[in-house]
Amino acid sequence: MIQMVDPAGTGGGQKRSMAPRLAELSRLKVGLLSNGKANADALLHETAAHFEQGLGCSVTQLLDKLNASRPAPPDFLAELAAESDFLITAVGD
Amino acid sequence: MGSTDAAQLVSAPDDALAAIDACFDNGWTDGLPVVPPERSRVEAMLAMEGRPPETVIAAHPTTGLECSILGAAANAVMAGCLPEYFPVVVAALEAASETPYNYHGSAASTGGSCQMLIVSGPVVQDIGMNAAGNVFGPGNRANATIGRAMRLVLLNVFRMTPGIADQSTQGHPGKHTMCIAERSERNPWMPLHEEFGYGPDISSVTVYAGAGFCNVENHGGNTPESILDSVADSMANLGCITAGESVVVLSPEHAEIVASTGWSKADAREYLFEQARQPVAEMQRVMKFVPREYEHQGREDMHRGYSADDILITVAGGDAGGHSAFIPSWSRGRGSLMQTKPIGVCIDC
Repeated sequence: MIQMVDPAGTGGGQKRSMAPRLAELSRLKVGLLSNGKANADALLHETAAHFEQGLGCSVTQLLDKLNASRPAPPDFLAELAAESDFLITAVGD
Repeated sequence: MGSTDAAQLVSAPDDALAAIDACFDNGWTDGLPVVPPERSRVEAMLAMEGRPPETVIAAHPTTGLECSILGAAANAVMAGCLPEYFPVVVAALEAASETPYNYHGSAASTGGSCQMLIVSGPVVQDIGMNAAGNVFGPGNRANATIGRAMRLVLLNVFRMTPGIADQSTQGHPGKHTMCIAERSERNPWMPLHEEFGYGPDISSVTVYAGAGFCNVENHGGNTPESILDSVADSMANLGCITAGESVVVLSPEHAEIVASTGWSKADAREYLFEQARQPVAEMQRVMKFVPREYEHQGREDMHRGYSADDILITVAGGDAGGHSAFIPSWSRGRGSLMQTKPIGVCIDC
């Protein structure tokens, strides 16, 4: 046998993970994060409307991350996290 | 302690063909066979680098995944690199990790860009890179494998798997490898590595998120304007024009014609920026007009890029032939900006 070096290197696995699943959605505050491309806001509002009408959720605000291909700025995420119980993000184009 | 002590080791049969098959089975390839990253080969690669193998040289901004020197070395072996190529791979990864390059977006996007590398300086000769005929094509181990190592790092370290994290609509062949060298002896202007501020002994590598390759043919032109108008027309065709950066690789023949009447590279860049444009009405007609980009330029027509500084010109290719190349930037513009690093120069140690 030979020994091969795993090409993932020393980086290990994924450094970020999914948020824990919410036990209950009704009447929670919803934040919206758009990638800034055309129609993302329409898709987000349409989706959020289902939560508003069906579960009594309220939309806090929609932020546009300005650059579709970069991660959202940390201060955007902090602002949304402070005002929202959960976040919906969508990719428009 | 060996230099691969920090590595995860995977056993494979002591048989070259079986080990190649094991790499396929492990999902470590770009679709082509790889050189199995056998431990001693990875250690030979690591011997070219002065820093500890676990040193992080690039990071993925979205997943948080990190590329260590060890990871880079394993993928360089798999790509077929010789150890002396490794400093180029390391510098290229460090360049791609700079925030403006946008490592994630440029690799994940439907735009399907490659990581085009442009190497300039004495390293080109030192490691036997090809800057002449077929510079974009097959036939040279350094060119082919350095570029391939970049893709294998994206696949194996950053998990930019086609169809999952990499959502390219079409991609292009340069995503396998796209690494060229500047042809210094046929370049009438200052070489790129000196243009970027490095000394004559310090080589550089530039990484550029390049979309597909556009060949610019003009065998009849014998003035700077005739050559550069052909290039500018390619830069500004309705399929290619955006506010993004441009890479223009002039063939030696074209470069000689442009420089022969005293044009500097800055003159050529300015001329290209002025000529590579479309009327607003044309941009609107094909529904590509982006008001904020147009307003940023402050010009009557829509130009390619924000200014002449957005155009990199280099010289490469064979002695004969009126064939240059324009490589548009990834997708719709300025999501990624090219980055350059010196090769083999450790700034932090």
